[in-house]
Order: sequence, then C-alpha cells, then structure tokens
Amino acid sequence: MAVFARTEDVYAAIGALFEWGSQDEELGPKIGKSGLTIRFIYHRPDAEITVDAKAAAPGGRHFAVHCGPSDLKADVTMEMDSDIAHTFWFGKMNLMTALARGQMKAVGPIQSILKLLPAIKPAYRKYPEIARSLGLPGGEA
Amino acid sequence: MTLEFTEFRVTTRVVAGWGLTASLDVELTRAGLERGLAVTDPGVRPLAERLLSAAPHHLIGLHDAVTPNSEVGQVERLAERARETDARFLLAVGGGSVIDTAKAAAIVLTEGGRLLDHQGVNVLTRPLFPVVAVPTTAGTGSEVTCYAVIRDASAAAKVIFTSEWLAPALAILDPALTLGLPPALTASTGMDALTHAVEAYLSNRAGPFSDAPALAALETICRHLPQAVGDGSDREARWHLLIASCQAGMAISWAMLGCAHALAHACGGLREVPHGVGNAILLPHCLEYNRPAVEARWWTLADAMGADPVKGVAALARRIGLPERLREVGVAEADLEPLAEAAILDGSIFTNPREATVEELVQILRAAY
Repeated sequence: MAVFARTEDVYAAIGALFEWGSQDEELGPKIGKSGLTIRFIYHRPDAEITVDAKAAAPGGRHFAVHCGPSDLKADVTMEMDSDIAHTFWFGKMNLMTALARGQMKAVGPIQSILKLLPAIKPAYRKYPEIARSLGLPGGEA
Repeated sequence: MTLEFTEFRVTTRVVAGWGLTASLDVELTRAGLERGLAVTDPGVRPLAERLLSAAPHHLIGLHDAVTPNSEVGQVERLAERARETDARFLLAVGGGSVIDTAKAAAIVLTEGGRLLDHQGVNVLTRPLFPVVAVPTTAGTGSEVTCYAVIRDASAAAKVIFTSEWLAPALAILDPALTLGLPPALTASTGMDALTHAVEAYLSNRAGPFSDAPALAALETICRHLPQAVGDGSDREARWHLLIASCQAGMAISWAMLGCAHALAHACGGLREVPHGVGNAILLPHCLEYNRPAVEARWWTLADAMGADPVKGVAALARRIGLPERLREVGVAEADLEPLAEAAILDGSIFTNPREATVEELVQILRAAY
C-alpha cells in the first residue's frame, strides 16, 4: 500500500524534513554552503520540492525550501516515486543501488549531490520521528 | 559475504581474433550496419584507413579530429559531421579518447541538444546511435563499458557520462592493431587496465560477476605487460593484454572504480596528465590508503598479482619505465588541494572502498608527489 495518499502528505513529511534541515545547525550549513539548487520530483502522488541554497534564505535558515512547482533553475534534479523517497529518508535505501536499479533518476552533475551524502546523515535520524508523528509506516525497502 | 544487490551485463557483442579487422566487412554485415563514419585521431589515421579499405561498402568517410583527453566541443563537432554525412553508425578506431568521443557523440546524435545537457544517471532511456569500437590500445576497456569520459575545458574537469546504453553495439578486438604501439603508450595504457582490474575488485560495488573478470585481467596484465613493453612485436603478449583490458572493462561496468581513478581524472582535467600514467603513479598510494577497508580481499589480490599489491604495482610501473612521482608529470605542489577538491566530486570516488575526505586525498597526493 502506498505510504502517501495525497500530495500534501508528501509535503507534510518530506517537505517538513527539508524545513527542519534548513534550520538544523549540523546539516543546514553544509547544504547551504553547496550553493546548489536541487529539485526533487516525486510521483505517486506527484509532488515537487526545491531546495535552494543559492539565494539568501529567509528567517536565519541555511537554505530555502519550496514545496510545489517552482520556476527556479535547478542544478540537479532527482526524480523518484514518493514511496522510494520515504524509504530513502528512513536510511533503508542505498542511493547508488537505487540509481543502478532505476528507482531514481538524476539529471545534472550528480557528483555535486553525491558529495552531500555524508552531510545528510542527521536527516536519517530525524525523518523517522516526523514519519511516526504523522502515523506513516516504517519505510520498508 | 552476501550482497543487498548485484548485477552484471555486457550488452556489447565482443569478437576477437588476430587480423580480424581485415575482414571488418563480415562483422559489420553480421551486425546489419551500413553507412558508418570512421572516427580516429591523426596518429591512428593509417590504421583507420586500412579499416576503410576493408569495408568500403559499409563506411562512408573518416573523421580524424579527435585528440587525447577529448573535449565537449570535439564531441559536438563529430555529431555534426555525422549528421552532415548522413552516417548511420560510428566506427571508433583508436584508444579511449576516440572511443569515448564516439560514444558521447552518440548521445548528441540520439537525444539532440548539447552534450552537457545529458549529464546524470538514468537520463538516457533508449538505445543510442550505434557505435562499433575497434581499440588500438590495450587499456581503456571503453569498447565494452557503459561510460564515456570527456573533458569540459570550461571547467578544467572531466565529465563522466554513465548509462547502460553507452556500451558500444560491437567491439572488435584485433591485437594486430596494437603491434605498432610505442613502449611508453603500451606501458601507460596497460597500467590503466591494471588499475581498472584492481579498483573493480576492491570497489564497494564489487560482486561475484565482476570479481571473475577483474582477477583474470589482473593476473594476465601482471604476466604479460612487461613483455609487451619490452618487445612490442610479441604477438602472444599483445593478444593477452587486449583481452585482459576488455575483461577489466567488463568488470568496471558494474563494479566501477575508486580513488586512484578519481585522482587521475582530476590530474587529467587540471594538468592533462595522461590517464594511465596518473593511475600508475597514484595506485600504490591509493592501495596503501584503502588497505584497512579491504583486508579480506587483500591476499586474493596479492595472489593474482604474485606480489604484495602496493609493492607489486610500484615495481611493475618502475620496470616498464613509467614516472613514479606527480611532480615528474607537470603537477605542482600548489595543485594538490585543487586536485583533491576535484577528485571528491568525481564519480569514481563513490565506489572507493573507504569513504575519503578531501584531507585524506591531499595526503595521498602528497605521498605521490
């Protein structure tokens, strides 16, 4: 059964994770320093989140998060099913394997975001908390 | 050891035989290919002309404007030439640069736009314009790999394109074409193939299907490379090296590479260090660095090489006359940090068995300097 019923559910979980990351003092500065604009396109249900570390973010955040369609030009676009993103943020999916198996598509210089992988480790601890608070299942691979 | 997931595929049909390209037309007919544009570099042009005369009904012309470390602009010019001549396939005759240029041009010919528009993973989703690869060096393995490495001069960096569709349709291995290779080129390309074999075996994606060709290639290269460098006319050594470099290419198609390649790509991008030379200099230091993470595989590697891996690689490179220090090949001490910064973004680094930091890469470079 699909984890997310509606687009809003994706924003409530994954969008909230990115919002948290933009203010987290461990993860935020590392993403902020990358200077990248990264777009995540999700399917089933469709959703779109853009993480923008290029422009100054509001309210002391390290980067801006836009849930919904955005006109910003992305450096890298990652595309996947929403359920795959859920499993990934639970820390239960290896990115390289997901790319090799075609579960994710990356457009652009993928190395620039692979470099960020060590930086996002704190998010693997945070996302299960967010998912549990929303009553979502446990990210089975 | 069990794995979460492994895979192996060689989509390229590989044919091999001494003097096989004399009957190139037979293989092109079997593959159903007509109106091919031969692609080569000026140094290999005489060989490419021989191939043109071996298949006059299948080939329509020759494009010889590829250089070592070929760049994005060269790829796009080749695609333009193929369009102008209404070519239906590309016959790449040469080393890694020529074959990778043809493979990258196939992206532009199939998908349109500019080459750099197509960077990424799983971006290419359909078969590409056909490429037939005829390697004239025994090193790159590009005749079977799903990669193309192209220099982006504007960024002074190498860009790696990865897709299963990048593997050529057909590879024709004719070791007779490698007979005239000068010793230095035999040595550097051979060390590139050896580095493929070693890094594929130690990669964090290594699996049972990639281990077998990697170890077979490694053993063969260690045995035959000195002979091929010492006596370029040794037919047996040439045969074995060409087969082994192709096997190593098969291994890296799944297992990918490691930090020696990431650093060698950076050296090639910034200082145009020949790829095989860069690998030969860096591999012993990368092995030393990676050893704590690959202890379980270390002795199998040593068995295949017939020597301690670190000492064995260094001794082999010395024996075949390659430089041993980065400072000998145009790298300055001030380059070390920028090189590490570039290498940490290289695709090869992500399958290195040990997660490297920029600081650790600088240490490796310093040790090799």
